[in-house]
Amino acid sequence: MARMKFLCDADRCIECNACVTACKNENEVPWGINRRRVVTINDGKPGERSVSMACMHCTDAPCMAVCPVDCFYNTADGVVLHNKDLCIGCGYCFYACPFGAPQYPKVGNFGTRGKMDKCTYCSGGPEVDLSPAEFQKYGSNRLAEGKLPLCAEMCSTKSLLAGDGEIIAQIYKERVVKRGYGSGAWGWQTAYKETIAI
Amino acid sequence: MTTHVSSAMETTMSNKPESTEKPAVDRRSFFKALGAGAAVAATPAMVTPAEAVDPGKDETRARYRETDHIKAYYRVNRY
Repeated sequence: MARMKFLCDADRCIECNACVTACKNENEVPWGINRRRVVTINDGKPGERSVSMACMHCTDAPCMAVCPVDCFYNTADGVVLHNKDLCIGCGYCFYACPFGAPQYPKVGNFGTRGKMDKCTYCSGGPEVDLSPAEFQKYGSNRLAEGKLPLCAEMCSTKSLLAGDGEIIAQIYKERVVKRGYGSGAWGWQTAYKETIAI
Repeated sequence: MTTHVSSAMETTMSNKPESTEKPAVDRRSFFKALGAGAAVAATPAMVTPAEAVDPGKDETRARYRETDHIKAYYRVNRY
């Protein structure tokens, strides 16, 4: 069974934020929420790196483990989804997530968070596939349409990979082999300090 | 109950010494019985185990399939 994964080729990401914009538009994500964002390390300095981050759809998801109302579930595709009808907006998943994926609209009174919203891997939620109710709560269901998440599909530099984990890992391996030590050497400086030139 | 009240009124009105006979159901035993009944009624609700939500087979089924659209995506990502 194919497991859906995201993989960001940080050597190719140019921090254009098109994935963020495309996701917001495709899923009509409310104000104040970005299901995906681009994180830049050493911004403005030589050797800066950008990486596009969203929910990584963990195999053993910490959000699922901490949810007091058990609103998360795993699909056969390996996608972590949640039920907004059950969510109480407690924020535990936000604290548990190592990627900061769960977001809250913060629309309620007295500082309440509202229902959690996160990347659905463009595969909707527990409602009937491609129904208006599903779109209104969770956004589009591209996986049911036979497509992949829009953020990855429209990435101009093909930096963001999505799809079957084994296939995209193979694609990334081929890129690394072709580029040589450009990105293949990640971690080599940690291992060999200054003795190695990249 | 009405007989008890009326007998109490008679006692007050006639200024007789208070009768020692007990009513069939006095206040304390009435509330004791009520409390025991409530406890019995509440017990099954507390014993029922918490159930995790089962999203159902239809919601968790695989939606991914390698369509031509997805194959084209994989192809163009190879270069």
